[in-house]
Amino acid sequence: MVSDDSFKNWRVIIFISVLAIIMIASSHSADQKVHDIARLNNEVKEWRSAFVDGRSKLMRLKMESGIVQKMAEKEIAPSPNPPKKIKVKSEK
Amino acid sequence: MADTEKNILNRLYFVAGIMFVFALAVVFKLLTIQLVQGDKYRELAEKRTVKNVTIPANRGNVYASDGSLLATSIPKYDIRFDALTPTTKTFESYLKPLSDSLSKYTGKSSGYHEQELRKARANKNRYFLIARNINYTDYTRIRNFPLLNLGAFRGGLIVEQTTKREHPMGGIAQRSIGYERIDKDEHVVRAGIEGAFGEMYLRGTDGHRMKQKIGQGQWKPITDYNEIEPKDGYDVYTTIDVNIQDIAHHALLEQLEKYKADHGSVIVMETKTGEIKAISNLGRNANGHYYERLNYAVAESHEPGSTFKIMAITAALEDKVIDTSDVFDTQKGVLSFYGKKVRDSKHGGYGKISLAKAIEVSSNTAIVAAIDKAYKDQPSKFIDRLYAMNLNRRLDLALVGEPEPIIPDPRIKNGRWSGIALQWMAYGYGVSFTPLQTLTFYNAIANNGEMVKPQFLREVREFDKTIVPFKKEVLNPRICSQETVDKVKKLLENVVEHGTGKKLYSPSFSMAGKTGTCQKDYANKDKLSYISSFAGFFPADNPKYSCIVVIHEPDKSVGYYGGDVSGPVFKKIAQKIFTDTPISDEVETLKFQNAIVNKDFENYYDTAQTYKTIMPDVRGMPAMDALALLENMGLKVKIEGVGVIKKQSIEKGSKIKRNQEVYLNI
Repeated sequence: MVSDDSFKNWRVIIFISVLAIIMIASSHSADQKVHDIARLNNEVKEWRSAFVDGRSKLMRLKMESGIVQKMAEKEIAPSPNPPKKIKVKSEK
Repeated sequence: MADTEKNILNRLYFVAGIMFVFALAVVFKLLTIQLVQGDKYRELAEKRTVKNVTIPANRGNVYASDGSLLATSIPKYDIRFDALTPTTKTFESYLKPLSDSLSKYTGKSSGYHEQELRKARANKNRYFLIARNINYTDYTRIRNFPLLNLGAFRGGLIVEQTTKREHPMGGIAQRSIGYERIDKDEHVVRAGIEGAFGEMYLRGTDGHRMKQKIGQGQWKPITDYNEIEPKDGYDVYTTIDVNIQDIAHHALLEQLEKYKADHGSVIVMETKTGEIKAISNLGRNANGHYYERLNYAVAESHEPGSTFKIMAITAALEDKVIDTSDVFDTQKGVLSFYGKKVRDSKHGGYGKISLAKAIEVSSNTAIVAAIDKAYKDQPSKFIDRLYAMNLNRRLDLALVGEPEPIIPDPRIKNGRWSGIALQWMAYGYGVSFTPLQTLTFYNAIANNGEMVKPQFLREVREFDKTIVPFKKEVLNPRICSQETVDKVKKLLENVVEHGTGKKLYSPSFSMAGKTGTCQKDYANKDKLSYISSFAGFFPADNPKYSCIVVIHEPDKSVGYYGGDVSGPVFKKIAQKIFTDTPISDEVETLKFQNAIVNKDFENYYDTAQTYKTIMPDVRGMPAMDALALLENMGLKVKIEGVGVIKKQSIEKGSKIKRNQEVYLNI
């Protein structure tokens, strides 16, 4: 270990140590990623839930029966006649 | 000295020897654990840290035709509280604010919550329920309440998440969207679209993966190979139109409530394709509230009553054994066969009327007389004609629970045929159809004889890729000749114009249909009730949609005629669709001048240019112009009435101030 030609041995030892460190680090980072994924998964679920929540609220709000009810307070009712579309032939 | 030196050495040897033996023992034990018991221990270790995890597939969504969500899976939360986790000091200091927050959330008093929480702590409850099955918004709210916001280790918050099926539209069309429920013993209960297409498309397949425990309750995948990826379910796009569904649901609900009926259903179908645009089934519960209980429209077969007259007449017209102009005597409203009586709803009958008129007023006697005269010697011919119009066949829907139609047949000995079977069939008794089966026939009439299968799905998709498209399916390309179709259409149109559906008539849009008022439980006079129905299509001349409304057991004291009970639902839907379609009008050019408008505008323009601070004379000016003019000058205008201004409160020529009020009379 201390003799002059021990450099070769040291090289191997250092190489193996570095290898070990890399292995440990990568294993840790893999674990870290698993935790990250779990956290992100939860976030996805939460966002999904929030999205569906918002969407169902919107759907109920935009449903015609709901609008009719709300507008009834302001004495506005849906027209019994269809809208008229006027097309101008010459302006095409 | 040597003696002592030897002694020391001896002792050293002794100690070393013992240590060596000890080391040997350790090595021996190691080897036995490794080699002899190794397999057992390795297995045990693996069990604890490695498991085969099932990765659940996401269930597909159910959409309406315009892409609105009808059903989707979302996480729901149960919030519980470990009452022992917080220290006494924390618990006491946060108890009051937590109770206040909870009281705001639940509406119960703060004192109540304080007492409950104290009780939970006293009882050492480590799993006290705070809220169950709440959505994400509420969950984030509760999570931030005092004490609970300290988290699991200091605050004792326990959150459990489950995936639930949610219907963003609420109770609307819930039964037709349905569900798929799998219990502990793997029994599957299937209802509606979710049930019918759950296994095929929506469910997807679960994946598997070996995972190793790594602490904090997390598991990491061990290998990249040797695993099955989960395959998410496909999305299902239904044919349901949210707007029509909304109208149908609320129109039906209103009539059910008005007539205190037991249950009812309504179906709207697109004539050309058979696509179901709306399907609503409402039943009453013990409290008198209505909700989507059973899929009556698909699964409930009942005697159709007068709506079947159209099928009978179509058969007879097609066989050319009667014509619409044939005249029949209603016999003062009572006809008897083997001592059984057929009665008209109008006491005394209608005198001698043509078949066309008989359909309009829905005369039982005249139609029974017509069918009796045409087929009494050859009832099988009538039955065969009904068969030829596919009336004896199920629609073979993917939705479960559709029963076979019932048509008595003299050649089949099942106890259904009798001496009066033909006559009773003529006005819709002894036969049985589901509302959807009846509608399919009416739709075929509207579609010029082409009978199409009711379609619930438009396509199955994976993101934006279509996996399975659904095309229109023709059950019978021609159930009867065009001539018969035209006659029947005319009959149906007249029912709404002058017949039993007269109350529905509207000059602005056309409808065609047949009312039905059928007795139910007529064997027992005390239990006698009615089924009121209306089946038809609109617009009458070029049908786009067909629709059936069936309402069971309306309160007889309020009304029970098909035209009164079910008709209005039909009309509302027809009117809604009518008002939603713009009327197109074309004009040649915009380059034309209207003398009066031009004069008014010039007058307005001149006045606006001349008068800036002095009151102009606005008499004779249209109210709209006067308002704009005076408000631009900074006046506050009060107008009474509409039209042309007759009087103004400020004289012409007077100097005006900003925000001064001016009254205009018309």
